[in-house]
Amino acid sequence: MHWKTLLNYELRSIFSNIPLLVTVFGGVFIYSFLYPLPYINQTPTKQNIAIINLDNSPISRKIERMVNATPQVNISEQQFTIDQAKASLIKGDISGFLLIPENFYKNLLLKKSPHLVFAGNAAYFLVYGTIIEGLVRSASTVVAEVKVSKMVMSGENIALAASQYTPISLNLKPTFNPSLGYINYIVPAVFVLILHQTLLIAAGLLTAGQFEQKRPQQRPTKSNKHYWLFFPAWQILLVRSVIMLSMYLLLSCYYFGFSFEYYGISKNANMVALLRLTVPFLLSVIFLGIIIGLLIPRKELATLIVLLLSLPLVFCAGFIWPTTNIPSVINSVAQLFPSTPAINGFLRLNQMGDSFDNLINIRQHLWLLAVCYGLLSIHLMAIKQKKLLKPHV
Amino acid sequence: MSFAHHIKAEWHLITQSKWLKALLFGIPILLAVLMWAVFSKGIASDLPVGVVDHDNSVISRGLVRAYDATPSLQIKVHFNSTKAASVALTEGSIYAYVIIPEGLERNTLLGKSPQVTAFYNSQFILIGKLVSSALMGAHSFYVAQLDTLKDLIDSHGQLNEAIAEAVPIAYQITPLFNANSHYGQFLVAAVIPAMWQILIIATLVIVVAAPMRADQGNRWLVDLNMTTLIKRLSLYLIIFWLQGITFVSVFYGVLHWPMHGSWLLLIIGQFLFVLACAGVATLLFFITVDVTRAMSLVAGLTAPAFAFMGVTFPSTDMPFIAQLWRSLLPISHYISIQIQQVNYATSLTASVSHYLALIAFLGCFYVTKVILIKRQKTLKAQPLNSLVESSPNDTTRPD
Repeated sequence: MHWKTLLNYELRSIFSNIPLLVTVFGGVFIYSFLYPLPYINQTPTKQNIAIINLDNSPISRKIERMVNATPQVNISEQQFTIDQAKASLIKGDISGFLLIPENFYKNLLLKKSPHLVFAGNAAYFLVYGTIIEGLVRSASTVVAEVKVSKMVMSGENIALAASQYTPISLNLKPTFNPSLGYINYIVPAVFVLILHQTLLIAAGLLTAGQFEQKRPQQRPTKSNKHYWLFFPAWQILLVRSVIMLSMYLLLSCYYFGFSFEYYGISKNANMVALLRLTVPFLLSVIFLGIIIGLLIPRKELATLIVLLLSLPLVFCAGFIWPTTNIPSVINSVAQLFPSTPAINGFLRLNQMGDSFDNLINIRQHLWLLAVCYGLLSIHLMAIKQKKLLKPHV
Repeated sequence: MSFAHHIKAEWHLITQSKWLKALLFGIPILLAVLMWAVFSKGIASDLPVGVVDHDNSVISRGLVRAYDATPSLQIKVHFNSTKAASVALTEGSIYAYVIIPEGLERNTLLGKSPQVTAFYNSQFILIGKLVSSALMGAHSFYVAQLDTLKDLIDSHGQLNEAIAEAVPIAYQITPLFNANSHYGQFLVAAVIPAMWQILIIATLVIVVAAPMRADQGNRWLVDLNMTTLIKRLSLYLIIFWLQGITFVSVFYGVLHWPMHGSWLLLIIGQFLFVLACAGVATLLFFITVDVTRAMSLVAGLTAPAFAFMGVTFPSTDMPFIAQLWRSLLPISHYISIQIQQVNYATSLTASVSHYLALIAFLGCFYVTKVILIKRQKTLKAQPLNSLVESSPNDTTRPD
């Protein structure tokens, strides 16, 4: 059996399989623009809120102005009761409100610690977080000013007072994604998953398309029509994985190179390290896809199974919900899918700038998956070949 | 054929196919339980955080205890150097680390206002925000305690006055509509409908295509008319509707998640949603008349739908094209109905636009009919034997 003949057959069956090509090239290309689309604006800003100012003193008006000056919130309306504010919240005009109670200024002077009330729509977490962040930030500025002015009144030097209004200050520094942009958060992780899913579908479609038939109508001959039944399984899988690997290395270059550049996502890894992580990732995905293809009775089920897995895989990957909070059984099962270690590994290498040597566990994990799935797919394919070639009874 | 006859025939089809059985009964339950289990803790707790304590004094240890005491955080590791802490942060074994400078206690007592620095992992925005706000909260609480203690000396034992001095303005933060900021309710209630949409559209594509597998040629396509097709689908629509009713009753009934609105409006919304999905599924199938290709379209349409739902990232902050794409997905209209009923108890008049949008998807059936008639015309123009040969699907008859 000639390698060259097999290579020709394989290339022909891949590049004449329209659904496969649409999934691979169309899918990867369209998703690279479609998926980041909702997040183009990076951070939610200028969330509309209402203000209920029952005090109407100089300081309460100052708070109003300071709140309006933060980038996170925008005071879009004045209300007089909480009920009115709630009604306009339900209508969707605003997403939160700030209430300054009556006698706020008076109580401040009387040292009675008056309360400001912040409310946000917690049905939408990001909106809620943005509003509360804006309100807390402007309120703490007001608090600092009040404290400093009190200290100055009691005879403290103003420069000293400005630095001493709090006994210990806390400097919170966001690391790795300093702008807190949503694209930098979602895209690097989801793009790995898109490569994972489209490649699973491609390998599954191709393999299932060849092996889905329970038995060929006539006894298959050694024509190119059924070449997958006559070449040894390991040889087919080797050629198939090399072709798909090369296709996906190109597509990975497009994602990790062009797309990341286009969206301004940090790229800390060097090419060699990235390549050495990409190869075991892609190989394990190809073999897993082939296994799925060999186990299903009809090829459209490959797309269906992979599609149904997408959301669970996203939420088990650990970038949305902390892995430590996921039940350990689910977490262990998720480790069987290459996407879980791969998303983690690519984020560490490329976004967080981890050194390649520190990723030893993830590389071993991916290579182990690649080898196990590779051996399993050879075994399964050999069984299928034997079954299909059994003489008709 | 009578309506009852269709239902019987379809039920027979379901019992014959283990894949259909799984898609209609097994997989939805499995997926729902899986997603519920992932978020079953509800509120992220005990997120691992590290400390580099260069001071090791009473105040620094008190500060560390204050961080550890918040339910969201757990001080897991004490590092000797900033470098070791930074490695752990990159590795992902901790989500943040706090550096306490040398001389913290001395400088605090001298009134020099020392600074504690915390680095948190903001690559994972949602987790990063939880960690940073928990650190901020714990820190201000501890500092207010110190301040109050100091002021207590100045105010000669007047506790209220000392507190007011330390905290001149207090604030109360009210999360509306999700009182305990329950992450599970927030995400699970959106993820499950997103998966429901995938299941409905994908399963219905398989169902619509079922006669094609039994028939080698295009005969079935020539004989098909829309009324029969819709009659055939009705059993599945009822099953999917029941799935929807089940998940809302489990979450908002059995698990007692807060539900403020009208069950009737919610359930009507679910019915319209299932119908809209059926419209999309039939249209996608008859555009391609090939299950595999139709399934690729289903994947393309429904896989990224969660991102467009506007639950994690507000839809008002999406650009126009994204909002346009969003409106082409039945799930975006359904999720608005669900959120409005569950959280705000909106009246029908206020949310009627979402119901109308779902009804508009029924237009898919009309477009399908036009496509179908066109295809049938071209097929009828060909002689019958070439019809069999031009079959787009060459699968063999199952034995």
